[in-house]
Amino acid sequence: MIVTLHLVALALYGLATALTLAPFMGFRPAPRALTIAIPCAGAAVHVVGVSQLTLVGLGPALSMLALCLVLLQLASERLVRGSAVSFFAAPLATGLVGLAILSGLAPGAETVGARNAWFVLHVALSALGLALMALAFIAAALYLLQFRELKARRFGQIFQLFPPLERLDQLNRFALVAGFPALTLGVLLALGYGAQFSGGLHVAKAQIVWGIFTWVVLGWAVWVRVVRHWAGRRAALASIAGFSAVLLVYIALKLTQPGAERFL
Amino acid sequence: MTGHTEMGIKVLGVNHRTAPLDVRERFAHGAHEVPSALARVMAAGASGGVLLSTCNRTEFYLVAGDEPALEAVWSLLGERLPGGTPPAGGARDYGYIARDRDAVRHLYRVSSGLDSMILGESQIQGQVREAWEASRAQAGPVLHRLFQTALHVGSRVRTETGLGMGTASAASAGVAVAGKIFGDLAGRSALILGAGDMAELAATCLTDQGVQITLVANRTQERARAIAERLGGRAVSLEEAWPFFATTDIALCSTAAPHAVVTWERVGAIIGARRGKPLCILDLAVPRDVDPAIAQLENVFLYDVDDLQTVAAQATSRRRDEIPAAERIVEEETDVFWAWYGGLGVVPTIKELRARMEEVRAAEVERVLRQLDSLSPEDRARVEQFSHALLNKFLHQPTITLKKAAEEGRGYGLLEAVRRLFGMEPPA
Repeated sequence: MIVTLHLVALALYGLATALTLAPFMGFRPAPRALTIAIPCAGAAVHVVGVSQLTLVGLGPALSMLALCLVLLQLASERLVRGSAVSFFAAPLATGLVGLAILSGLAPGAETVGARNAWFVLHVALSALGLALMALAFIAAALYLLQFRELKARRFGQIFQLFPPLERLDQLNRFALVAGFPALTLGVLLALGYGAQFSGGLHVAKAQIVWGIFTWVVLGWAVWVRVVRHWAGRRAALASIAGFSAVLLVYIALKLTQPGAERFL
Repeated sequence: MTGHTEMGIKVLGVNHRTAPLDVRERFAHGAHEVPSALARVMAAGASGGVLLSTCNRTEFYLVAGDEPALEAVWSLLGERLPGGTPPAGGARDYGYIARDRDAVRHLYRVSSGLDSMILGESQIQGQVREAWEASRAQAGPVLHRLFQTALHVGSRVRTETGLGMGTASAASAGVAVAGKIFGDLAGRSALILGAGDMAELAATCLTDQGVQITLVANRTQERARAIAERLGGRAVSLEEAWPFFATTDIALCSTAAPHAVVTWERVGAIIGARRGKPLCILDLAVPRDVDPAIAQLENVFLYDVDDLQTVAAQATSRRRDEIPAAERIVEEETDVFWAWYGGLGVVPTIKELRARMEEVRAAEVERVLRQLDSLSPEDRARVEQFSHALLNKFLHQPTITLKKAAEEGRGYGLLEAVRRLFGMEPPA
């Protein structure tokens, strides 16, 4: 049932991705209502699927991350009319759900705390923090693309479809500023859960290293934006550099550290 | 003698399709340059001329009979090309010529906005009127009528079709581009350089979006003050405006200066001190007001007329559906003009010519018959009949030729010749 729900969500996200990218392939843009309704339907099915998951292991974590990303994409559409966020978010979410299914959605051996509220909150908030970081990255990428088009005086699809620079900058700032407390809380909940219920953190060192590294990078991105008042292109480049570093470190740890296959 | 060398309506020039902006800038004529340019062409044989010079086109409308008049136009334009690497054919390489009926249709399409870079834009209507008024002394009766009807055709197309619907001017495109940088424009600040109609139109588009005009800078303060009073801000001289490039969000430039006024030397360091804050510069002037090197500054977004017209052109896709209806009106009105130019001008001349000849015939026959009073009434009738037949024979070929020329649209040149030959008044 869980897999079926994820497959349906995957199909709907795939369709949403195709509709989103259609204008770049020379097709007429799909009606706005359709480009919102389809990921909405996907998210609804996905929520049902995630609610039945045991949030332990790579597959469930990826699924949770994808869901957070889709929900943030829909919120961006609604709040900042950032419909172009879906150009990145839709394929990314589709890929994440696909990976989740391939990784297996059944829980691993360690299921003890899977129904503990602290643990569930830790996973949910960490996924939300990461999804917000991804959203900041997407907004930054859109910013740089639109910036390039505006500087080069090209008025094609990107100019037409992407939001204004100022709005993308605001979205990037919001995602970072909201993502940092979410991730901080996620990390604190993990520490609290370890101390409270399982007598310490029983996770691979790699997971701790990556978690702290991600938190530090996100903190740095927030610091340069809020304290140093970086904005525009410089802030976008910082977001992209930060997110890329987090991704690269993740891949490096996954490839080099023993037992790392279980962590997100 | 070919048809092209006969007196007829001709248009020659360059436009946005045939010449890049830097060439059009060189060919652009200010209002003060029009009389001397036309005088030079008319000295080369044209009997009437109107010069239409906008940011998108420089066109000479002529009633000209000889190639020298056309050559005069090309050499006049060619002299404005840079000395370094002019094209082999000079200005001609960038230009086009339309003759007679095609020339009439061309002007009608221009005044309707069908030939504009921004399909259906309405500014051209005013520019056609201004060109006609600036050339009034040299236009002559045919071009007077042609331009008068061109304005009528432009109005008809705009009222009877949807060709002018929506906003698709360079000014509104400027607002769209600024919106892609700043998002909501309400509360943004703008400074205006120049105080012409274009500057005012674009500034109005900005204020409609809630942009605050902080200052209007112009060479002559009086006009700047008038715009500042209407749209807000204060009037200053150009020199006083440069420091404001450090704080403004949008700079709208549309002066009539013959060279760039916003140069790196004047504002480079000032803009550099903005600490990354974006500055949108809309350069609506031709020749351009802003040194393109300014765009190299990272936070500067500089757009010239060509850029803005490209954006506006994208907003005209809906107008394209109206093209067939507009073209029908243009064709219909071209027929009407052609009937006047070719036919209706000739028929009264033929009538007048016949009446004059008839007077001469009647007077001469009467004089002869007075001297031949011995003739019988039958013989007098024969003499009368003979004179009629002779007159008809003499007038037959000129009448046929004039009517044929009228049908082919070449009537005006012959008509003028006949009137001169037979001492008749020039046509109205």
